[in-house]
This record gives sequence, C-alpha cells and structure tokens, in this order.
Amino acid sequence: MLALECKKLSKVYHVGKTRRVVLDEVDLQVEMGKKLAILGRNGAGKSTLIKMLGGVEYPTAGVIKKNVTVSWPLAFGGAFQGSLSGHDNLKFVCRIYDLDYKDTLTYVEDFAQLGRQFYDPVKTYSSGMHARLAFALSLAIEFDCYLIDEVIMVGDARFIQRCEDELFNKRGDRTLIVVSHNMDFLRNFCDEAVLIHDKKIHRCNSLDEGIDRYYSL
Amino acid sequence: MYLGHVNMRYNDSSGLIMNRRSAARHQFPSLWQAFLAQGRVIFALIMREIHTRYGRENIGFLWVIGEPILFCAGVAIVWTAIRPSYEHGVQMTAMVVTGYVPLTMWRHTMGRAVKAYEVNSSLLFHQLVTPLDIILARTILEVVGTILAGAIVLGGAVGFGYMKAPADWGLVYGGMGFITFFCVGFSLVIAALTELSDLLEKAMGIISYLSIPWTGTFFMIDWMPAHYRWILEDTSPMANSIEMIRAGVFGLDVVPHYSIFFLFVSCMLLLIIGLYMTKRIRPYIKLS
Repeated sequence: MLALECKKLSKVYHVGKTRRVVLDEVDLQVEMGKKLAILGRNGAGKSTLIKMLGGVEYPTAGVIKKNVTVSWPLAFGGAFQGSLSGHDNLKFVCRIYDLDYKDTLTYVEDFAQLGRQFYDPVKTYSSGMHARLAFALSLAIEFDCYLIDEVIMVGDARFIQRCEDELFNKRGDRTLIVVSHNMDFLRNFCDEAVLIHDKKIHRCNSLDEGIDRYYSL
Repeated sequence: MYLGHVNMRYNDSSGLIMNRRSAARHQFPSLWQAFLAQGRVIFALIMREIHTRYGRENIGFLWVIGEPILFCAGVAIVWTAIRPSYEHGVQMTAMVVTGYVPLTMWRHTMGRAVKAYEVNSSLLFHQLVTPLDIILARTILEVVGTILAGAIVLGGAVGFGYMKAPADWGLVYGGMGFITFFCVGFSLVIAALTELSDLLEKAMGIISYLSIPWTGTFFMIDWMPAHYRWILEDTSPMANSIEMIRAGVFGLDVVPHYSIFFLFVSCMLLLIIGLYMTKRIRPYIKLS
C-alpha cells in the first residue's frame, strides 16, 4: 500500500524575472512503513520536496496524494515562533491540535530535556535544542508519516539514542522520509533511497546504490 | 482513502489518550468538527499574537485595549483643548470620539493586515492553520481592542461631562457594526494584495494617510457643499458608518447622510472579494 504518491510534480520559483525550475515533473511513491532517504547535493530540491509533501509549499504543477497523515517537516526554521518560548509554542500546538496540555507538557519536557530554557524564547536555542523541541512536539502528535529534514543529526549522542527509541523502535511501523548528508545515519535507519539530481528524482534499487550514486555525483 | 490506522495499533497505554493524540483525528472532519477546529486555531493564534506583541511583562495583554485608548483619548484631549468647543453646533469632543474610534479601528486592522501572511508563514507549517485563520485572528484582536477602548473613552467623555450620552444607542451600535463589517472585508483584501505586491506594501502608509478625508472622520457630510457630498456618500463605507454613529450620538442636532443599503451592499461586496482572495492566496505566500 502506498502512503504517499506524487505524480508529475513540478516546482518553479520566480526570483525577480528569472524562472528557476527546482523539480521538473517528478514522480515518487512511498510505501507504508518504509524508511526513505532522500539524497542529493545542496540546492538540489530536497527540502523543497519535503516541504511540498508536508503541505507547506505548494507545487507549481502535479498532484500529491496522501493516504496517511503526514507531519509537518521537521527542519531548521518553520513551525515555531522564535520570539516565543518553547513552552508557548507547546501551548500553541496543544491548542490547534486539541491535545491535553498536561500530558503533552510531561511528554515534551521529558523528551526534549531543555530544563529551564524551555521557558526561554526559541530564538535563543542552539540548533541541537531546537531539534529536540521540534522532535518532542511532533512526536506528541501521532502522525503516520514523519518528514525529517536534517534535524536529528545535530543532536548529541543521547538525543539520537532517544530518537532511535521513540521513532524507530516504538513507532517502527511508521513511514519516514529523511533528508540527510550523514550516510552513517541513513545506513542505520533507512531501507530505500531516491536521489534528486538535475531537477529529477532517480529511484535507486537499494540504499547502498543510492549512496554510491550520491558520492559519484 | 485513508489507510493509516497505525495510530490505533501503536502503544499499550490507554486507548483514549492515544486517540486524542492521533493526527488522524483531524483528517476528515465533519462540518461541525471543522468549525470547532477553526475556532480553536483562531483562538490559539489570538493568544499567540497577544504574547508575541505584548509579552508577559507589566500590563501585558491589556495593551490590546490600552493602545487604542491612548490614541483616542490623547487626540480627544488635545482637540478639546485647542479647538473651539462647538463647531457647526456640535460638541468638539463628541466629534473627535465618534470619528477617531472608527478611524483607529480601520487604521489598526489595516496595519496588522499588511504582509500578515509572510510574517506568520512559519505557522503555515501546521496544516490546520490557514491564511483565513491568520487574518481573522489579527483582525478580531484589533476590532475587539478598539471597541472596548471606544466604550471606555466614550464612558470617560460622558462621565466627565465633555459630551452628552448618545441620543439613540441603536444607531451607534449599528454604525460600529458596519465599521467592523467593513474593516474585516478590507483587511482580507489588503492582506492578500500586500502579499502579492511589495510596492503596495510600501505605499500603504501614504495611502492610508491620504485617505483620511475620505473616511469623514473630522467633519460631517452635511458641512460639505451639496454637490460634492456624493464623493463620501456614494463611495465611502467608512464615512457612511461614521455618519450613522453620529446620527445616534447627536440625535436631532445634526443632519446625517448615510444609507444602510449602500453600507450593506458595499461591505458585503468587499467581504466576498476578500474571502475569494484569501481562498486563492495560499500558493503565493512567500515562506521564510
């Protein structure tokens, strides 16, 4: 069964008068429960694709069919209000998703372990702390498919261990789409790969093949 | 077709909590659930707006009312002090209060609507948040703040004897209702247009300043030469509703020029255009 399916997806940005094609009529299919790695060089369009899958950016053409619930893209920037504290952001998420405030607070405080800085503005957080908050909040809502754009990799060893626990063990049946340049991480956790290069998505037969192709770009 | 019931399979703890945390719950809402969700999102956005704008220090969210009060009361006091107390047979303070409260609402809602989507684009990461929620939250906050401030300023002016209590409250409420109606539609249109055009965003300050005469804030239409009255009477919802408020405040002391038919049609038209633009704007919002 397919969790996600993209058909003839195109994304074009207009910068001033120049027209820049990021993705050109690409297709992508993600099976339920699969852990898909998206590989590609900087600026290839990986984050753009993730944002379109998460419904944040809109495709210029083509359709995205979602059969399951998809998280917002866990990335640097976005989803949080920098001038508000982690706690205020949690309250915001609780309000819009109608979550139980106390349960969520306990879960997030325990998972993110930000201590007193949980009550400081998010803009004062280090990237690792930002990642911890982003993860904790998105795991507080049970999505079927999580979109991860690099953020796990900035965490410390302990945080990566926790992510592994929560995301890959407890929620092992979920679909995962990961953008990363950390091949060790991908080798550990992903089982499929696609390569974005030259405005197209190239399906790879195995993760190893994908990584080889990525290195030979 | 929704296939993902993994949420139900996962976890051994109480099923109720899992259910509430499940994102699938928001997937296919009934009309009523969608309505509740929209209410929740707008409330969350209003709370967030209050916290980002006013913080938690000193009087905090009371600034929502405090800011327009200082504006309206300040102008009312200065004008009362420097201008003759009666002009064309009506009290100066009452003229300022009845004009400035609507003007403040219009200028504040407009100010908050300019580029509202771009500055809030990080919120659009959450699928439940739509552009309409963002602009409604901002507009509601300003409208409520201005109305409360207006009530306090009016109460103060009447209490201290600088103006008489309104002769007909119904017309005052009606006029404020139409001002609100107009401001909501106007901010929807401005939010969408400034998102599309940086030039308009930069010009908004000048446009709003130059259009103050068109709002009829500081004079009544009856004071204009008869053959120019149509400029406000037939084109300006602001001037029409301010005339209506003044008809309520001054009663038989003034000759008001307003048309409820014109107000209703123009405000409704603006709202429909605004809603249509808001519905179409999402792909054009620049994400930060």
